Amino acid sequence: MSAIQLSSVTKRFGDIEAVRDLDLTVESGEIYGFLGPNGAGKSTTINMLLDFVRPTEGTITVLGEPVDAAGAELRERIGVLPEGFDVYSRLTGRKHIEFAIDSKEANDDPAAILDRVGLTDAADRPAGGYSKGMRQRLALGMALVGEPELLILDEPSTGLDPGGAREMREIVSAEADRGATVFFSSHVLGQVEAVCDRVGILHEGELVTEDSIEGLRDASDNEATLILTVDDATDDDLDAVRRLDGVSGAAVDGSMVTVSCESDAKTDVISTLGETGIEIRDIETESTSLEELFLSYTDGEGVVEKEGAGTGEAAVATPEGGQ
Amino acid sequence: MSWLVVARKDFEDSIRSRWLQGLTALFVGLVALIAVVSLRLSTGGETISTNALLGANFMGLLSGTLVPLIALVIAYSAVTGERESGSLKLLLSLPHSRADVVFGKVAGRSAALSTAIIVGFVVPAVILALGPLSLDIVSYVGYTLLVALLVSVFVAIAVGWSAAAPSQRIALGGAIGLYFLFVPFWDIIQLPLQIAISSLPEWVPVSGTAISNALFLLNPASAFQGLTNALLQGQLFSGETAGLQVSALSMLLFWLLAAPLVGLLVFQRRDL
Repeated sequence: MSAIQLSSVTKRFGDIEAVRDLDLTVESGEIYGFLGPNGAGKSTTINMLLDFVRPTEGTITVLGEPVDAAGAELRERIGVLPEGFDVYSRLTGRKHIEFAIDSKEANDDPAAILDRVGLTDAADRPAGGYSKGMRQRLALGMALVGEPELLILDEPSTGLDPGGAREMREIVSAEADRGATVFFSSHVLGQVEAVCDRVGILHEGELVTEDSIEGLRDASDNEATLILTVDDATDDDLDAVRRLDGVSGAAVDGSMVTVSCESDAKTDVISTLGETGIEIRDIETESTSLEELFLSYTDGEGVVEKEGAGTGEAAVATPEGGQ
Repeated sequence: MSWLVVARKDFEDSIRSRWLQGLTALFVGLVALIAVVSLRLSTGGETISTNALLGANFMGLLSGTLVPLIALVIAYSAVTGERESGSLKLLLSLPHSRADVVFGKVAGRSAALSTAIIVGFVVPAVILALGPLSLDIVSYVGYTLLVALLVSVFVAIAVGWSAAAPSQRIALGGAIGLYFLFVPFWDIIQLPLQIAISSLPEWVPVSGTAISNALFLLNPASAFQGLTNALLQGQLFSGETAGLQVSALSMLLFWLLAAPLVGLLVFQRRDL
């Protein structure tokens, strides 16, 4: 049985098509990384999985049940870390976990859950004083209650420092080892790369590629990045290069032209640029990293953040935060 | 009983709200003030009963205007506020249906406000018991419970509205509108309405009294006034207005269920 199945799902908000004709299947027991730049439609897709938002067209089943007809009971089998959520600022962290336990009619020990997500020290403080990272940990704790069959985590590393992000990945792996299916979204490839069995890349509401990490890596090994120093070039000059077979992207920054392409296409790129009348002064070749491959799929949108970006927030994410 | 879990959480959350605490303090203060003022006025030595006190104009004014206001202030953002902050996502990520959320919130917030009101009446009762007033415990408790019912009805209306409103701003505007409709406006239109009714043309198939009774019943605040007046005169569900009182109580219970239900129907169809 598939844990998640979307068939021809489209969601329009007025004139805007947030998700376009999306087909996606997540098999039971796998860790699926749902990757894409901000605004690609990841959260809309996840919100549709949870019946927060209804699709304009198409059908969605989660754990074998159609989400529009399944009702609230379906969520007893799912743990969710939503995006753009907020906590109940007047209630303590412990109360939040207890609320999740009561809601799921589970018999977890609140203290054990709080310990697992690293909130033991802050457990009895109102969650309104928590930092972004602590709120994220709290919601993860609520998601873990009741040993769900499926975990849906929307940008789980938001607001976490590098250590927190690593703990998050460890929890994801541990849940998968227990037998849970994990579906999580991220705009940071590094978060996904280390733990996922399979990755789907969403761009402007469409699934542009879906592969295992190994598959992506093989693709990136075939790719090269050409860094050319030129006398003068405009973005329009690169159109001819972009049209070449095997070229996945090209960009210009002053006198620096960067082209991502298959290794075999390098000579074509150089000769085409020459024909456009651009004088090439220097040529460097780099093999393409997984990050650059990701960028090539998304037209360079959604800059690939290195892990630990946003340390400003991380600094607040200490137990003393928000006092 | 998923809605009960939501109700308990909402109760615990609401009871910690500064607004609720502040408004409760205001309410307790005013009821106590009325009690003290009544004591002062009765220094002539004669005892006045609590029934006379509760039946006094300013007491009716206090319950009839402040209680709906408190309920609307505490409950208008019950759903919209959570939708805008995002805590509704946390709530609906758990196995609660939208119906559980709406009815759980009505129950939780009504319970929180009723608790506040019961506290608000216990304090003056202590003052009253010490003074030269005879405490009619049955009608005092009855009055308190009716106030709790009134606050619950207005909570239900506010939560229903909050579930239906597309944004926090509209929820607030609507709550203000509902308050003015049910509290001052209803009174203002009474006199012109009575005049209009008394000169109804022959062909109108309903009597003037029927229209006037219907309008009286429709407004929870006036239905409440009718019930408390009867209670304090020792004529609850008896005497010549007994039928009207039963209708008034039914109407209050109708509001309690219908308002959240209508709000839910709109909320069901909406994207978060």
